[in-house]
Amino acid sequence: MADLARRLLDAHARDDRKALVALYEEAANCANDLDAACFYLTHAWVFALDAGHSAADALYDRLHGLGRA
Amino acid sequence: MAKDIELDALDAVRRPVASANGLPNAHYTDPDMFRTEAQALLMSTWAGLAVTADVPEPGDAVPMDFLGMPLLLIRDKQGEVRVFQNICRHRGMMLVPEPRKIEGAIRCPYHSWCYSTAGRLVSTPHVGGPGHNTHDAIDKDTLGLIEVPSHIWREVVFINVDGTAPPFEEVHADLIARWAEHDKPLYHGGADSTFVLDVRTNWKLAVENYCESYHLPWVHPGLNSYSRLEDHYNIEAPGHYSGQGTLVYRQLRGVNEEVFPDFEGLSEKWVEGGEYVALYPNVLLGVQRDHAFAIVLDPVAQDHTREHIHLFYATPRTDEGMRAKNATLWKTVFEEDIGVCEGMQRGRSAPGFDGGRFSPAMDSPTHCFHDWVAMRMQGHG
Repeated sequence: MADLARRLLDAHARDDRKALVALYEEAANCANDLDAACFYLTHAWVFALDAGHSAADALYDRLHGLGRA
Repeated sequence: MAKDIELDALDAVRRPVASANGLPNAHYTDPDMFRTEAQALLMSTWAGLAVTADVPEPGDAVPMDFLGMPLLLIRDKQGEVRVFQNICRHRGMMLVPEPRKIEGAIRCPYHSWCYSTAGRLVSTPHVGGPGHNTHDAIDKDTLGLIEVPSHIWREVVFINVDGTAPPFEEVHADLIARWAEHDKPLYHGGADSTFVLDVRTNWKLAVENYCESYHLPWVHPGLNSYSRLEDHYNIEAPGHYSGQGTLVYRQLRGVNEEVFPDFEGLSEKWVEGGEYVALYPNVLLGVQRDHAFAIVLDPVAQDHTREHIHLFYATPRTDEGMRAKNATLWKTVFEEDIGVCEGMQRGRSAPGFDGGRFSPAMDSPTHCFHDWVAMRMQGHG
């Protein structure tokens, strides 16, 4: 998780939104509880929207399916 | 009492041109009057903001300041040019501080609320708490970006800030009909066909100077060699526009006598005809057989105007050297006008100046504009 946090900070520093989508999704998949997972999924979704990333719809569907969007 | 004096002065402006005075000094020098005029003349009418070429591709977004308002000019993903208030509906944060391409959504840099390029609110992250992206109190359907009514004509983006103006086609039906022959695709010449002049003058003085041909032989002696005063005529549509026309428009010729392609289907009138009209309040237009131009006046302050000049052609591609030569020609002409616009602005600090007088023969297009200003100011109360 420390490595993931470092990669996230690095992606933020580079404003690499495509990487942020993947990294926040990875963080969601590693989370121990639903709220934490949805927190990270939300970030993945927002950066996907921002970047016009093709994953945006799937991330929305995932959050919507969990009652979070 | 001051109000009475002001109304009397506006009555004097509205007299027939032979006996009328010009607008009083305060209309050029007083910051409070500038703000009042902004409401009466620029926000409640169809004011020019930009041209479509400022946002040539879908997703292009340009923040603009108009009369202190933060606006966002954007071409949405469907290709439609729109104008929004450049603020998030959440905390009023400015959304887009620099021109850029919106790749996906417009994301607020504060709490990341996201909007589509058409203004729809699409995401409110964590609005219901961490990981909860909805809340009953936040209805996304009612919280889209605030769109400013806009209309595109001759590739100029006009806006009606307060939403009270009748439809553009109704307000400007007369000029649309007058120039129906010129209702053809206009192709912006690109980066070499646009320039900005920063002028220390009130925006109305730029309009006034553009309206009339009286000054041409004195301020533009080069132009006078082929476009003499007697070859010009006045154009006046009270309440809407005024300007001048020429009977001796000459096409620009290159080293091998090449010319720009003509707009198709023009009648005989335009072989040597050209018309130059100030469309009230702040757009100066020119039409000719082979190119057109638009000048959008940005009223920065009571004594400061930015003139955004754009040249348009009849075909998507034109000769680069010819375009540069043409842009230089027009830039020279418009730069020659700066001295008189700034000189009149300085002159408006002379105490007791009565607004001046008009030549009934030569200045009636300028008086037509003053009359429109006075009429709207009287109506504004």
